[in-house]
Amino acid sequence: MPFDFLLFWKLLHFFWLIVSASRLLFNIVAVLKKGEDIRILDDANFYTKTGILQIEQIFPIVQSPKSPNSKQSLTPVCVYSRFQLRYLSFNKERLPPSYPRSRFLAVAKNPRYSIMASKFGMAGGIPERRVRPVWDAIDSRQFKNALKLSTTLLSKYPNSSYALALKALILERMGKLEEALSVCINAKDLLYKNDLILIDDLTLSTLQIVFQRLDHLDMATSCYEYACGKFPNNLELMMGLFNCYVREYSFVKQQQIAIKMYKIAGEERFLLWAVCSIQLQVFCGNGGEKLLQLAEGLLKKHIASHSLHEPEALSVYISLLEQQAKYGDATEVLSGNLGSLIMIEVDKLRIQGRLLARAGDYGGAADIFQKVLTLCPDDWECFLHYLGCLLEDDCSLPMVANSPLIQVSTSMDCQHRHLTDDVFDSRISRASEFVEKLKSEAGSDSIRNPDLANLEIERRKIIFGKGNYDKLMEDLILFFTRFGHLACFSADVAVFLQILPDDRKKQLLEKLAKSIDSSSTSSKNVLGQHLTLFKIRELIGDMFPLPEGDLVGFAVQMTEMYCENLPLSKDLDVQESMYGEEFLSMTCNILVQLFWRTKHIGYLLEAIMVLELGLTVRRYVWQYKILLLHLYSYWNALPLAYERYKSLDVKNILLETVSHHILPQMLTSPLLVDISDLLKGYSRFMDEHFKESADLTFLAYRHRNYSKVIEFVQFKERLQRSSQYLTAKVEGSILNLKRNANSIEEAESVLESLNFGSDFLDVSNEIQSKKLTFNEDLQLRPWWTPTYDKNYLSGPYESMSKYPRENLRNDVKQTESKVTRTIEKRSLLPRLIYLSIQCASSSVKGNSVINGIDSKHSSELKSLLESYSKYLQLPFHDAVELLISVSNGQKPLEVLTSNLIDWMNFAVFLNAWNLNSTESNNSDGNTFRMNWELVCSLLEQSVSSKIKTAKPLGSSPGIDVSILVQLVTEPLTWHGLIIQSCVRSSLPSGKKKKKGGGGHSDQSNTQLSNSIKNSILSLHKMIDEVTKWLKEQIEKPVDGDVDILLSSINCEQNNDVGGPGKVVKILERLVSSVDDVEVGDRICQAVKSWKAVDVARKMVTAQGTALTEFCNVCESKMKVLQGLKLQI
Amino acid sequence: MTTIRRFCCDDLLRFSSVNLDHLTETFNMSFYMTYLARWPDYFHVAEAPGNRVMGYIMGKVEGQGESWHGHVTAVTVAPEFRRQQLAKKLMNLLEDISDKIDKAYFVDLFVRASNTPAIKMYEKLEYVIYRRVLRYYSGEEDGLDMRKALSRDVERKSIIPLKRPVTPDELEYD
Repeated sequence: MPFDFLLFWKLLHFFWLIVSASRLLFNIVAVLKKGEDIRILDDANFYTKTGILQIEQIFPIVQSPKSPNSKQSLTPVCVYSRFQLRYLSFNKERLPPSYPRSRFLAVAKNPRYSIMASKFGMAGGIPERRVRPVWDAIDSRQFKNALKLSTTLLSKYPNSSYALALKALILERMGKLEEALSVCINAKDLLYKNDLILIDDLTLSTLQIVFQRLDHLDMATSCYEYACGKFPNNLELMMGLFNCYVREYSFVKQQQIAIKMYKIAGEERFLLWAVCSIQLQVFCGNGGEKLLQLAEGLLKKHIASHSLHEPEALSVYISLLEQQAKYGDATEVLSGNLGSLIMIEVDKLRIQGRLLARAGDYGGAADIFQKVLTLCPDDWECFLHYLGCLLEDDCSLPMVANSPLIQVSTSMDCQHRHLTDDVFDSRISRASEFVEKLKSEAGSDSIRNPDLANLEIERRKIIFGKGNYDKLMEDLILFFTRFGHLACFSADVAVFLQILPDDRKKQLLEKLAKSIDSSSTSSKNVLGQHLTLFKIRELIGDMFPLPEGDLVGFAVQMTEMYCENLPLSKDLDVQESMYGEEFLSMTCNILVQLFWRTKHIGYLLEAIMVLELGLTVRRYVWQYKILLLHLYSYWNALPLAYERYKSLDVKNILLETVSHHILPQMLTSPLLVDISDLLKGYSRFMDEHFKESADLTFLAYRHRNYSKVIEFVQFKERLQRSSQYLTAKVEGSILNLKRNANSIEEAESVLESLNFGSDFLDVSNEIQSKKLTFNEDLQLRPWWTPTYDKNYLSGPYESMSKYPRENLRNDVKQTESKVTRTIEKRSLLPRLIYLSIQCASSSVKGNSVINGIDSKHSSELKSLLESYSKYLQLPFHDAVELLISVSNGQKPLEVLTSNLIDWMNFAVFLNAWNLNSTESNNSDGNTFRMNWELVCSLLEQSVSSKIKTAKPLGSSPGIDVSILVQLVTEPLTWHGLIIQSCVRSSLPSGKKKKKGGGGHSDQSNTQLSNSIKNSILSLHKMIDEVTKWLKEQIEKPVDGDVDILLSSINCEQNNDVGGPGKVVKILERLVSSVDDVEVGDRICQAVKSWKAVDVARKMVTAQGTALTEFCNVCESKMKVLQGLKLQI
Repeated sequence: MTTIRRFCCDDLLRFSSVNLDHLTETFNMSFYMTYLARWPDYFHVAEAPGNRVMGYIMGKVEGQGESWHGHVTAVTVAPEFRRQQLAKKLMNLLEDISDKIDKAYFVDLFVRASNTPAIKMYEKLEYVIYRRVLRYYSGEEDGLDMRKALSRDVERKSIIPLKRPVTPDELEYD
């Protein structure tokens, strides 16, 4: 038989089609470049072990009977790489039964991994083999080559928007942002012009990526909107558009498109996308609560015809009902068929209990919580809910679903419903019986809940007036003997100690101490109990009223215990926490208190020594590092504090919660480079999160974790309103100005990048309506500085009955309002500086009256100064009057010292405004005006007074050098800029020649230039004075300072009762007597390497480094002033 | 005494006392949020009275066919809450979800070969060393792949240790 070539070819082709089709329908060929971070957002399970694969979308395309058109979207999917090919098949178990498993679409975040073939072997309408070299060049970061290749590609396919989009992408990667944008816009225009049968998704997604990176989300959206308009009912494009709206946080549009998709495909998830979009409108947008009703209606209708298939869909439905206070309806849904969607029994019970409680059915709720406790006997929060329901007590009732922070209040000011005595008794005895039952069932298991529950019951009885302190104490002692060795014990019982009267607290301490003696448990447990006892002492503030000698006694005792118990940690890995580590932190706490009380620096030095020894023994203890960084900051050894901070490895989200330990001190320090790094790192983290947050939200949509959608959006908003973020933005800009202020041109270019300070004016105006968030975790701060604007050590000693931490809530509130005000005030600075420079310049040119812009500047400056005076707590005219009377000696400088920097900044800007204003600024028409001489007098007085009161850093911890630093880097610097502006304008060079003309102007200009000359001299003199003082400090030999420090802990000089030095003696004894057999080689070597003198030397050196930095700043300023002197 | 609940974004702002520990990595935001968006059932936090964060566990479920399994990405407990079996509770929870809800065959985790205390703990929780992965951690330190079989793996095939170590390239999900 002759060989039928044609038939063979047809058969081959047919076979190939089947193979290809099945491959495309059942598998996704994904290409993961090795080592690249790749994330697949699909319904299947293909992720790397180490990371998550990064592909933006792989989603099922459902062929709906309603829309035969959607067949079009059965796009073959092929993601490949030259490095590695991997065939991925979908895991059937993860997919809900309703989804045809065969149709999926992948869109990669990096188009490199995108659907490279919308049609076979085609990429964006171009044969894939032609595109590949471009991608290879991009992958290997050879952008120049990539650009060349893409130009060649474009010459062959001049009408391909994909080729253009690729070029834009390359330009963006090369940092040519403007060019990239214009090419991208061309690609977009081309896309609109091309009359294609199908708009290629690869082109769209590539365009989207470039537009997103160029911060033009709106353009990306309009591309998708156009595509969706052209090809209605194409689900693939609609999902792309939905994603665009998610990125733009356009909740209403999200809802509309989701509803459209739902109508086309009839799928549950699209409906839930719409419902989430509605919830977002209510919680994060300006949608009214009535919208929830609409969402509920939509869901109800769907359930009636299709039921629900996803647990998260049910959660959304219940939350919708709950948000409308339809608790009964919600309970009904949960106990119906749909309830089976929640597969974990306790989860379901918890929701049920919450709904009943919120509906006011406390009895029913208590029954449910009792069931939960039987299943999870250690669940403390559930126990509080249980008791709350029994006693009908508002404080411990469960909160609304999805309220992320479930705060169970432990305070005593709860709203008790008025239960009669009998009812109260019977409810309490029911609780007690149940707890007893739990206890007996737990047996020897180490769960603590039942014991703690008993304590809580006793506490409630006391609050109700039916309790008995003896019983509570008895229970506490029992609890202590079982669990007192645990590190968390004292914090666990804090709330019960709070309720005891002071004399009972003391009694309890004695009893607890005795119970340790009588116990016969292991030495580790005894050690733990001792630690707990000290912590309780600290907690109830027992130590504050004690005489100095007793406190020293405790410090000595704790240090000794640390040393004696080192052998217990002999065999521990260096990574593991050692036994008794906390003794050293507590010793530090006492020593700092002793310093506060006696002002004896020896105690402070000892506190540092103790912690440094602890870190030598085990370098990982972050608690020591935090205490040390605060001690070093207080003692003006900021470089060392910063080093300790860096060793905490604070990164990512910890930047938001932990940076407060170092940021505020750094902002007023001369370490300009370090603070700039800190701010940049933090802002970069936040900005990156804001950029990627919407994509992650879409991920939650994709994976049908709808509650996370709302959570993610709310979380992003919370971070966006972060007070620290705003502070970083404002201070970062001011810092940038400070660093560039030696050259007015550079300062001006910084100002230009800040939109001449106008952007921050908006910040200042909107701040009150913004509701800032304060996300700092203040719990880890030392007792003496509970918030970042408070340090007890800087004030006089006050005897306190409790540790200052008790006042934390009040302190935090005060700090928060202060921070808001500070941001509001500081946001005015860039604009004030800009306007001052402008006014100064036009005053020299003498064209203030003629030029409209100049007079506009002048009046704006005036109004900003009026706003600024608000922060000086005086009306503008009064503030001016006060300044003038200080400057001419009628009033002492001290009247300004509470916020000296603000006053001096005000004076400097006021002078700039006066230069250019004919307006009298005194209400009664007197011609008292700020002028060069008066400003200089004020600044001179401030600098001199600060230098006069300055003391050597080593022997005077807490001395506030930062005021001097701020004087130089702020008012003096801004004043310097104003002078530079005047000098530049007065130069008779070229175009800068004055325009005003006329004899009068000449005369006044001579006056002006004399004043400027004098100002330069005066500024130079001030900075010189600072520099001299600094040099005096820096040039002192380090050894001398070290000796002074060490002599402060010299025991012989101190009396027997108290006095510093005793703790260090113990440390030194440890160093000399440590035995490697007892404590192991590692600990022994570490202890031996510690020397008191090294600690002192390191601190003195760090103090010198900070001063040298400051000195450098001053010297650079003097150089600039020298130059100016020659110019004028 | 311990309330274990699903981890939420706001917990990221409260876990500093756990994450300041040098052995606990603080990942970037997309890492945490991807886990939250994809496997919220595998991300739990434990709270003490007064809403103090005690520790947390994050993980996922992955694999195909008989290697469909739960994976522990991170489990950590703050120093003051150690030595009271909290890690065990968290691990049991993840095992339970892998077993009962996702019907996985086993749970696995990776640990630095030098982290003896952790390896000991996992062994106590019935994990066995399935294989050694050479230079798994930044190309320097070996990792141990430890596994525990779940009820679906009746013959406990998934945990029969491999005889030779593997390289990171050979990992199935790399």
